[in-house]
Amino acid sequence: MPLLEIRNLVVRYGEIEALRGVTCVVEEGQVVTLLGANGAGKSTTLRAISGLAKPTSGDILYDGKSIAGLGPEAIVRMGISHVPEGRRVFPGLTVKENIMLGASNRRAPTSEISREADAMFDLFPDIRKFTNALGWTLSGGQLQMVAVARGLMAKPRLLLLDEPSLGLAPVIVQAVFKIISEIRRNTTVLLVEQNARMGLSVADYGYVLETGRIVLGGKPDELWGNEAIRAAYLGGHAKVSA
Amino acid sequence: MDLALQLLFTGIGIGAVYALVALGFVLIFRATNVVNFAQGEFSMVAAYLMVVAVEAGLPYWAAFIVALLGMALLGVVFNLGVYYPLRHRTYLPVIIATIGASILLANSVLAIYGPQPQVLEGWFETPGIQVGPVYLDSQYLLIICVTICLVIFNFWFFEKTLLGKKLQATSQDKEMASLLGISVSTMIMITFIYSAVLGGLAGILVAPVLFVSIQMGSTIALKAFAATIIGGFGDVAGAIIGGLALGVIETFGAAYISVPYKDGFAFLVLVAFLIFRPQGIFGERVAEKA
Repeated sequence: MPLLEIRNLVVRYGEIEALRGVTCVVEEGQVVTLLGANGAGKSTTLRAISGLAKPTSGDILYDGKSIAGLGPEAIVRMGISHVPEGRRVFPGLTVKENIMLGASNRRAPTSEISREADAMFDLFPDIRKFTNALGWTLSGGQLQMVAVARGLMAKPRLLLLDEPSLGLAPVIVQAVFKIISEIRRNTTVLLVEQNARMGLSVADYGYVLETGRIVLGGKPDELWGNEAIRAAYLGGHAKVSA
Repeated sequence: MDLALQLLFTGIGIGAVYALVALGFVLIFRATNVVNFAQGEFSMVAAYLMVVAVEAGLPYWAAFIVALLGMALLGVVFNLGVYYPLRHRTYLPVIIATIGASILLANSVLAIYGPQPQVLEGWFETPGIQVGPVYLDSQYLLIICVTICLVIFNFWFFEKTLLGKKLQATSQDKEMASLLGISVSTMIMITFIYSAVLGGLAGILVAPVLFVSIQMGSTIALKAFAATIIGGFGDVAGAIIGGLALGVIETFGAAYISVPYKDGFAFLVLVAFLIFRPQGIFGERVAEKA
């Protein structure tokens, strides 16, 4: 049984049909990457899984149980942690406080959460010196580290990462993806990326989304091998992917 | 000089009341992005509850507790009845609902108690003490002490406890807070209870100094609202400093310039701030948080 199975998922925002029947599977222990252009429905898929977007029809099975239509608070308690687009680090709280709040989905004494947050800095040494800095003072790369650390504090079985490389300098993107390859040792990851090269470099499996539908799925080298797909979605030969 | 010290004391005393109500404004505004126009009515209702409880023969301290518990309950009912059904709408319907609730509260009290202002005794038998040149009225002393305690409590609660951090997180980004498993509706409920109790406390404390009347709520609320703008809208420290400043300014204005225009000074200062420093004293910090 896969950890996550999405069946024929349709999501509408008013008149707009953002997802028109998405079907895909995430096996436990894998990193699965969703690729696609802007507006293809990548973020909406993640938002539907974490409960931010209500499915119009279709189903989302997590560990065999339907979670479609549950609220985000209930879903994160079941072990799905969503690091959304734009980092969304609380600007008026410190880095440590932001990370500690990541454990809000489970019951633990504050002292233990504080210890766990401190331990998080071993995985993210670059932000250790900003422990007591307020969220708004950080740079994009640092915010991304805080957002991922906060997402991991939920001790998720499934981590949803939305565009972790967006707006970051190449060297920071490398650092973020290095962390993803560390995380995958004990957490399943569903990754959304526009940067196809990076997105597939850590993936076990990839899906390509186009205007609300999955048009292709396969292992990273299969996706790379498909000429038409390469040209259309993955940035072509010489072109550097956006 | 002696007069100035005396005025400073009285000004801080009345300013502390504005500060408490202003704090209620700011907390609800930060949690819901809506100005609660019934915040002043919380003070008025609490003062009446206090009158009722004292008349029923309860000792003063017990009446105090009963009135505050009543306010906590009002906070719950207010949240469920006024904010919760409209929480997914824009701010406008919510603001209008709070105005409606304010009218309902004022007129309910009017229907029950009539237009005659009530008198509430102060907590202490002793009217006050003379310290050097300054006469310290016992009720004003109580107001100042309670406000200091509450400011300390407020700081501790929001800065040192995880619950306080969750409340802050909710006010900064509700969607993200819910993604982390923070129960947004519980956080907003706590905010309403806390704000109703703060407003109620202000009303109970100021009641022996003023008359307990239907209008007391709107008078206090207008000043408190001005205080939040002077302090920097949405800023906790700004609300407290703004409230205290306003109390001092209007007391001095009344003493040195004109008693009949006492209420006017608050709004004169407000207009000056809106023209020359619309972001208020602590304005920048708010902008950075946004």
